[in-house]
Amino acid sequence: MAGAQYTLNRLVLMIPTFLLVMIIIFLLVRLLPGDPAIAIAGDKASDADIAAIRDKLGLNAPLWTQFWLFLTNTLQGDLGRSILMRAPVLDVVLARLPTTIFLAVYAITLSILIAGPLAFIAALNRGKWQDNLIRAVFQVGLSMPVFYIGLILLTFLAAQLRLFPVGGYGDTFADRLYHLFLPSVTVALYTSAILMRNLRAAIIEVLDAEYVQFARAKGLPPRLILGRHVLKNALISTITLLGLSIGQLMSGTLVTETVFAVPGVGRLMLEAIFARDYPLIQGLTLTFALLVSLVFLMTDLFQSWLDPRMRLT
Amino acid sequence: MKAAALAVGLALSTALGAFTIQSADAVERGGTLNFARYDGSKLVDPIYADRNPDIWMVGSLFSTLLEPSADGKDLVGSLAESYEVSADGKTVTLKLRDGVKFSDGSPLTGEDVVFSLDRARNPDLGPWAGLLSAIASVEADGANITLTLSTPDPALLSMLATFNTAIVSKKAFEAAPGANDQEKAAALFAKGGPGLGSGPFFLSGFEQGTSMTFSANPHYWKDGEDGKPLPYLERIEFQIIPDDATRVLKLTAGEVDIAEFIPFSRVAELDADPAIDMNLFPSTRIIYSPINTRETRTDGSPNPLADKRVRQAINYATNKDALIGLVLQGAGKPMSSPVMSSATRLATDMSPLYGYDLDKAKALVAEAGLEPGTEITLTTLAGSADDATIFAALQQMWAPLGISLVAEQVDGATRGSKNRSGEFDIHTYGWVDDVNDPSQVTGWLGYYPTRKAVGTGWNNAEFNTLYEASSSEMDPEKRADQYRRMQEIYAEAAPLLFMYETPFAVAVSAKVDGYLQTPLGNNVFERASVSR
Repeated sequence: MAGAQYTLNRLVLMIPTFLLVMIIIFLLVRLLPGDPAIAIAGDKASDADIAAIRDKLGLNAPLWTQFWLFLTNTLQGDLGRSILMRAPVLDVVLARLPTTIFLAVYAITLSILIAGPLAFIAALNRGKWQDNLIRAVFQVGLSMPVFYIGLILLTFLAAQLRLFPVGGYGDTFADRLYHLFLPSVTVALYTSAILMRNLRAAIIEVLDAEYVQFARAKGLPPRLILGRHVLKNALISTITLLGLSIGQLMSGTLVTETVFAVPGVGRLMLEAIFARDYPLIQGLTLTFALLVSLVFLMTDLFQSWLDPRMRLT
Repeated sequence: MKAAALAVGLALSTALGAFTIQSADAVERGGTLNFARYDGSKLVDPIYADRNPDIWMVGSLFSTLLEPSADGKDLVGSLAESYEVSADGKTVTLKLRDGVKFSDGSPLTGEDVVFSLDRARNPDLGPWAGLLSAIASVEADGANITLTLSTPDPALLSMLATFNTAIVSKKAFEAAPGANDQEKAAALFAKGGPGLGSGPFFLSGFEQGTSMTFSANPHYWKDGEDGKPLPYLERIEFQIIPDDATRVLKLTAGEVDIAEFIPFSRVAELDADPAIDMNLFPSTRIIYSPINTRETRTDGSPNPLADKRVRQAINYATNKDALIGLVLQGAGKPMSSPVMSSATRLATDMSPLYGYDLDKAKALVAEAGLEPGTEITLTTLAGSADDATIFAALQQMWAPLGISLVAEQVDGATRGSKNRSGEFDIHTYGWVDDVNDPSQVTGWLGYYPTRKAVGTGWNNAEFNTLYEASSSEMDPEKRADQYRRMQEIYAEAAPLLFMYETPFAVAVSAKVDGYLQTPLGNNVFERASVSR
């Protein structure tokens, strides 16, 4: 099974990636100015209190000792205790993660639903008014900051027209779809703009390819040509882009979750950074890295299914 | 003019609030209040609460022995119905109110008081134990509590009205799972439910970083205007909305009833909305900037701000009213005491404290021989619109003195580290009293051994001696004299850029009455009611 071998190779390649991520994040948080002990004890604490807390947190130990502990504990599934939340990092992250994943999947689904059909319409009407209109609208989506779009949507659709709630994330599945609609759209507007441009260009390229012209000449029904020949081939580069934009989308949640008051890991990351909560920052970064790696893996697998030539490389 | 309009609005809303509290029949019982917070609680426990979102909620879940009177100037009984201080100031006796209960209906006894106070003054536990260091022992005989002090402490009674001495149930606490005190406290908070405290509410739901629910304590001892026990509300639902704009939108969309920490730029607009009462609650919050007074900077270069005259000059050259207009849209006032807000007890009104006087400022820098073009760094909070405005204004205001002001933007944790290490010239800062007594803020800003006079390195022997003497001075008049003198010394030495006091801006739906944020910041819900 070539597919299984390929998957295994990809998984093994993730190990050095993770080691590197751990080293970088470990050093980066410690390079940040600002002392976690002060962040914990507050500005009002005495210098003696600060020293005691540093000692308790193990921050006075040599750097390599701290790293060794971080590495061995992480390998045993122990991410340490969050300083800010006074609870195990793993529990804190796991409690917030589903919300962010829900938001990400929702946003990606919306992006595809928006970008896919519009890319087809634009490509099939290349140069006509439909094409120009679609591209102009998406250009606006691309050039506006995410938080700004979010605030505009909030002000008009939620606060004035009261079509959607201003914040929160709901309890049931349907409730969540409703609550997270605006944040998802906000993220999706940006992602779908990138996807649409790429997919449109790819479709145009494929439409001009000889095999498509041949299929047409053979008299295959247009539906079959578009579905089997055009879409499948145009998707290859778009899938890569989709994978990459999911990585970007994860960082976009930092802003979106704050604006829309969605209690996910993006907002948690901001809180952790401000509090210099080293264990929590490390745990969250690892989680982000894991998620993004998994997405890249899935992208590669999907691509290799679309284009068997990929499996050889 | 805007300031005047706001003041009228405030007076009006306060008057309306007072009116509804007094008209007993109008109070509606029951219902849920939805409250949008700027940040969430992590652990609401009397001794571990160390961040404002925790501290300010303690009073809703736990009661103290005494409490501040309505005007905040005095102390009245709470769980204790009476108290007495011996002539030598070394013994305090209190008598517990008859029949006070925890929120599960179990009786609150002297044993619980001893347990709670011993816990509060244990230096191995919470960060506030130092405030109770004068207490040598706590004993209970039935409902009679005796505190024996090693030295007289004029602030002690105030401490008994402060969150860290709130009473917890010994039985509930000891039964909690956990290897040590902190683990037990965290476990109790995570679990919630009645029985731990005797405040107007008990914690009935908590989701880290998301929401928190308080339910009415049916056994609370205070009665409302209708003669039935407080609180009026049945539940309070807190949501955490860190973004200012979103919090305001939540309120205007009617999804919440109260939104706190309204940006001052939005106050006038919300004040004009008839569905919203825009409250500016008086606070003990002061905004100031510590000035490094050390002879040299940490990099070894000479520090121009070590010269008192230069510090005085920048204070004179700072137009506080203009700053208040720019940053607070007029909703504030210049500091009138150099070491505390005007709402703090024993504050001396020295206004105008360094009133704007550019000529005097120029004369002072000339006298000090300040080189034209001297570079001074103002460290500000990155991302803070207020700080950006302050920097731009100060840069212009100080330019005529020959000072070239440069900005350095950092985040809160970095600023805290710089304050401790002395790696700054001037940086923005703020303070809210935690204790209803001037000793805490005065110690923080001026007493060198506490924290090097808020990191400025200012070390004045007379001030330090006065502060130490005032800490055990039981004669109120003598203590007031000591405080007056300390404020004079501090104002003259100017280790700070004295800026302004700001109120707590809280927007409340017109459907809500009786909500209050105290000058210390505590959120008070016991008399809040909502009409649906």
